[in-house]
Amino acid sequence: MMKRISGFILLPLLALCALEQSPAREGKLKIVTTLNYLRYVAQEVGGDRVTVVALANARQDPHYVTPTPAMNQLTSDADLFIENGLSLDIWQKNVVDASGNPAIQPGSPGHLVATVNVPVKELPTEVSRAWGDIHPQGNPHVWLDPLNIRIIAANIAERLKQLDPANSAYYQSRFEQYKGRLDAALFGEELVRALGKSGGDVLVRKALNNELADWLKLRGLEGKLGGWMKEGASLNGLKVISYHKTYIYFADRFGLQLTGELEEKPGIPPPPQHRDAVVEEVKREGIRVILNDNFYSREAADYVASKTGAKVVITYLDVGSLPEVDTYEKLITFLIQNISQAAR
Amino acid sequence: MWSKTMLLVCLTFLFTLAGRAQESESSKDRIIEDLRGEVARLRHDIDSLKSLRHSDLLTQSDMLDRLEESLEKRLTYLETKIDAVSRATAPVAFNPGMTAFINFAARGDSKKVYDLADPANEISNRPFLRTVEMELLGAVDPYASAVAVISLENQAGKEFGVDAEEAYGLLKRIPLLEDAPLGMKVKIGKYRAPFGVSNKIHMHDLPWTTRPLAVARYLGTEHGDFFESGFNPTGMDLNFYVPNPIPQTTMEMNLDVVRAGELTLSGGRGGSQPAYIGHLNLSRDWSNQHLLILGLSAYEEHGIAITRLYGADITYKWAPLEERESHSFVAGGEVFAGRHLFTDSATAVSSNSPVGWYGYLQYQTSYWLYLGLRYDWVEEPSNDRLVTRSAGGYASYYTTEFLRLRLGFEHRWSDIPVQNNVNTVLFEINLVFGSHPTEPYWVNK
Repeated sequence: MMKRISGFILLPLLALCALEQSPAREGKLKIVTTLNYLRYVAQEVGGDRVTVVALANARQDPHYVTPTPAMNQLTSDADLFIENGLSLDIWQKNVVDASGNPAIQPGSPGHLVATVNVPVKELPTEVSRAWGDIHPQGNPHVWLDPLNIRIIAANIAERLKQLDPANSAYYQSRFEQYKGRLDAALFGEELVRALGKSGGDVLVRKALNNELADWLKLRGLEGKLGGWMKEGASLNGLKVISYHKTYIYFADRFGLQLTGELEEKPGIPPPPQHRDAVVEEVKREGIRVILNDNFYSREAADYVASKTGAKVVITYLDVGSLPEVDTYEKLITFLIQNISQAAR
Repeated sequence: MWSKTMLLVCLTFLFTLAGRAQESESSKDRIIEDLRGEVARLRHDIDSLKSLRHSDLLTQSDMLDRLEESLEKRLTYLETKIDAVSRATAPVAFNPGMTAFINFAARGDSKKVYDLADPANEISNRPFLRTVEMELLGAVDPYASAVAVISLENQAGKEFGVDAEEAYGLLKRIPLLEDAPLGMKVKIGKYRAPFGVSNKIHMHDLPWTTRPLAVARYLGTEHGDFFESGFNPTGMDLNFYVPNPIPQTTMEMNLDVVRAGELTLSGGRGGSQPAYIGHLNLSRDWSNQHLLILGLSAYEEHGIAITRLYGADITYKWAPLEERESHSFVAGGEVFAGRHLFTDSATAVSSNSPVGWYGYLQYQTSYWLYLGLRYDWVEEPSNDRLVTRSAGGYASYYTTEFLRLRLGFEHRWSDIPVQNNVNTVLFEINLVFGSHPTEPYWVNK
C-alpha cells in the first residue's frame, strides 16, 4: 500500500522536475505587474534587460480585475511581481497565491509594492464597512500625480538593482534618463535644462512645497515654464465632480477643485436621492465638468448633466486604455487636454 | 455539545479581535513606512534649506519665511497622519485575517419534506439558521500559509454541529526541492476536494440556495441539499500547471490522496485504505472578458468496497471590461457517473452505477440584481433506477458584496413518492463581516 501511495506522489513529482520549463528569456528578468502604468514604468527603467507584462486590461476597473488561471500561470515563473498596493489591486493576492511561485510571495525580494514612500492622501481614521468599500491605507490612485511616478520609478529601479546586481549601473542610468524625461514633460525641457543637472530635483521640491510659481518669478524664469505645469494651469481653480475619488492626486498637482463625487459611498453606485443632491451641488457651485471613468456607468453623470448643463468627460486611468494613450506621458497629457477642453 | 459551543464562542471572540488587528497591523506598517519616507524628505528639504542659506541662491528673507511655512504645513500633515494611525490600528501583530459568515434560509413547501438522514424529521415550511462560519487565513512562515474554516452547521433543525469545514496548510515551496516546479503547491489537511466545480464552493458562496442534487447525493451530504454538504476529506493535494501544446490555454492538474469512505457514494464502506482523486482543468481567457473552463475529475477507492466516480464540468463566464460591476453572465454544468460495488448483508456482491448532472445560467442585470435558472437530474446513489429531477429559478439581490438576499422557486419530480411533486419557495440572507477583503461577487472569483 505504501508503495502505491509513494508512487502516486513521487512519480508526478519526478515527471514535473523533468518537465520543468527552462527559462527561455535569455537572461532577462521577467516582470509581471498588475496594472499597465506599472508595466510602462518598469519597461522604461528595465530597458532591454527585462520583459514586462501586465495582468489587467487597461480599460477595466483596477479594483475589479478577475484573476484567471492564465494570469496565475503567467506569474508562475516571474522574477519580479509589482503591485500598486494601497488595497487597490487586492486581486493580486489570489494570483500570487495561485502562482505557486515562491520567489514572488509577499516579503520576498521578488514582490514589490510600487507605492512605498509615496505620500498617501485620505487616510481613514475609522476603517469600517459602514463607509463603503473604503481603502484602509488611503486613496490608492497615486499614479495620476507625475511626482509620485518619480518615487515609483525609483522603487522599481532599486528593486531591479537588488535582483540583478550585475546590471545595477544600467538600471540606474535608465532610471535617471526616465526621470529626466518625466521632469521635462512636467516642467518643460527648456526650464529643466536651464537649471542644470539637478534642475529637475529642485523643481520637484518647489512643486511639492507649492512654491514653484513664486520661485520661478523670483528668478525670472516664469517664461520658461512649460510641460504639464504650464498646460495644466488652465485647470487651476476649475471646480469638477467625479464619479469616484479617483482624481485627488491629479487635482492637487494641477489645481483642480474636486467638490464631490457621484458615488455617495466608495464602490457603491449612487442611489437616486444622492444624484439629486449632486444636481443641487452642481447648480450651487457652478460646476461645469463631471469626470466619469470609462469603466463606470455614465448613467448618473448623464442624469446630472441633463439637469445642470454640465459636461461629462469620459476619463481613462491606465496606460494603453486608448491606442493614442500608449505611454504614461500621453495619459497625463490626455487628461489635461480633455478636461481643459470640456471646461471651455 | 455545550462545551463545544462555548469553546467555539470563545475562539470566535479571540479570533475576531485577532483578525481585526491583523488587517490594521499591515495597514499600520504601510503607513509607518510612508511616514518614514515623508520624514526623510523633510530632512532633505531642511538640509537643502541650510545649504541654500549660505549660498547666493537664497538671500531674501521672505523666501525663507515661505519655506518655513511650507515645512510647517508638511509637519502638521505628518502629525495628522500619526494621529490617524494611532486611532485606526491596534498593537497586535502576526494574527490571521478573520471573517464571519452567517447564512439564514427559509423554505415554504407545497407538501411535507423530511430530513434525508432522519425520515421522521420534518424540515418543510420553516426558517433555519443554516451556518455560522469563521474563516481564518494567515501566513505560517515565508513558505506556507494556513486556512481554518470552523463552522456551526444546522443539523436539519435538531441541533448545531461544530465542524472543521476546512483546515489545511498550503506549502508554496516544496520541501527538499526548495522550489516549486511548474508552480506546484501542496495542500495538507482537510479541505473541499477538487472534484468538479461546485463542490469546492462553500454554501454561503454558492449562486443557489441549495447544493446541486448530484453534488449533494454523490459527493457528500448528511441532511440533503438544503443543508451544508459536499466532499471535504482529509488528505493531501498537489496542484501544478501542466505544460500543454494548445496555444493560449492553461492546463492545471490536481492529484490527491485522501482518506477513503468519506464520499457519500461509498455508503460508509470505507476502511483504512486511501482513495485517490485527479482533476484536470483546461481554461482559456479572452482579454479578461470571456473565460471558458473545461474540467475532468476522477475518484477511486478500493477496499471493502470499490467506489469510482467520474465527472466532467464546463463553465463559461462573461463580464465586460467597462461597467464590469453591473453586468455579467455565467453558464455551466457538471455531469457525474459513479460505480459502487460492495458486499451486502447476504454476502452477495451488489452494485450501483448512478448518473447525474445539472446545468445553470445566470445573468447580472445591474450592480444589485442577478437572475438565474438551474435544472438537476440525478439517479439515486443507493438505487440507480430511481430518478429525481428539479427545475428552479432565483433572484439574488446584493446591497454590497457582503450582504445578499435571495428568493427562489423550485419544483421537484421524483420516483421516490415522498419527494415527488414538491413546490418549494426559498428565501435566503447571507451576511459577511470581518477582515475579508473586498472581492467581486462569486461569479468573478
